[in-house]
Amino acid sequence: MDVNEAQLISRCQQGDQEALKEIFNQYHQKLYRIAYGVVRHREEALDIVQEVFIKLFRSIHQFKGKSRFYTYLYRMTMNTAIDHTRKMKKVPPLSMDEEEGFQLSDDADKRPDRILDHKELEAKVKWAMDQLSPDQKAAFIFREIEGLSYQEIAEAVGSSIGTVMSRLHYGRKKVQELLKDYVERGR
Amino acid sequence: MKRECSSISRLLEKYFDQEVTPEERSLVEGHLPDCSACRMALETMQNLKILIKNPVEEAVEKETFPWVWEKIERGIRQEEKPGLWESLWSWLDMISLRKKKILIPAVAAVVILILITAPLIYEKMSSYPVLSVVEYVESDTYNVMIYEREAPQVTVIWLFEGPEEEPLTS
Repeated sequence: MDVNEAQLISRCQQGDQEALKEIFNQYHQKLYRIAYGVVRHREEALDIVQEVFIKLFRSIHQFKGKSRFYTYLYRMTMNTAIDHTRKMKKVPPLSMDEEEGFQLSDDADKRPDRILDHKELEAKVKWAMDQLSPDQKAAFIFREIEGLSYQEIAEAVGSSIGTVMSRLHYGRKKVQELLKDYVERGR
Repeated sequence: MKRECSSISRLLEKYFDQEVTPEERSLVEGHLPDCSACRMALETMQNLKILIKNPVEEAVEKETFPWVWEKIERGIRQEEKPGLWESLWSWLDMISLRKKKILIPAVAAVVILILITAPLIYEKMSSYPVLSVVEYVESDTYNVMIYEREAPQVTVIWLFEGPEEEPLTS
């Protein structure tokens, strides 16, 4: 942690909202990327970012500097986003049969190039990601979207590197299998 | 798939994630030109990454974060202004805090004070006569009141002329 960041955190711990704003300016895009990676929906991702910064202001006094600040923030964002997904699951947005997988509509299937509409593809990716356990999802998103190293992921989720590698491996395998048609089409 | 694929495939994911040592890297890179299966496995990982990551990057690039900071400020302000229930809870919290941190020492101090002072007070109080029996005799010149203490062999006689006069004791 550099000196500037340590000062910002200390000011924020004393209730300085200007310090929080500086942290916001520094991190909001990265946190949005993580939140969007989980929920894959603009408004929901923005709500999550907002919620994370309010939570951060409330709980930053608990940050003792044992881990790096960004991994602390990333973990908070991931937990908030996964909680949000759990709440939203009560209202399924698409008609998908989880047992049989995502069914392409007949109309889309009849298209000459068989390329799906962007939104439909996004829905399929979201559905596939939602089949992962929260731990697998966290490892997968931290690695594939935020590009964190195994060590950084381990710090952010509070697990060992071996556990992270295992979650990432099984998560990847599962999503690859569920998105087989699209992953192979890319070749 | 070649025979050494099984040992290389264990490294393939680490190689893709750029987490291999230089030795492991050269091992994988020496194997890849001759093995289409491992190349395909790498390609699948790459395609999956693109499929997952690109829409997110596009969304981040387009995003202007309208009013997000203002909403955060408003959210913090709302949290600072507690509602009726929150006020009640925080008051109860204070009570429990008092119970834990203030009330217990205070009660202990009072108990100690009572234990120390009670014998002294009792002693002082018991030095006053406890008068229980009253006999009243009226005459033309004087009125006499006779009291007996509960303790035996002590008699108090008040003799007074009028209502304003101080009684005489013997």
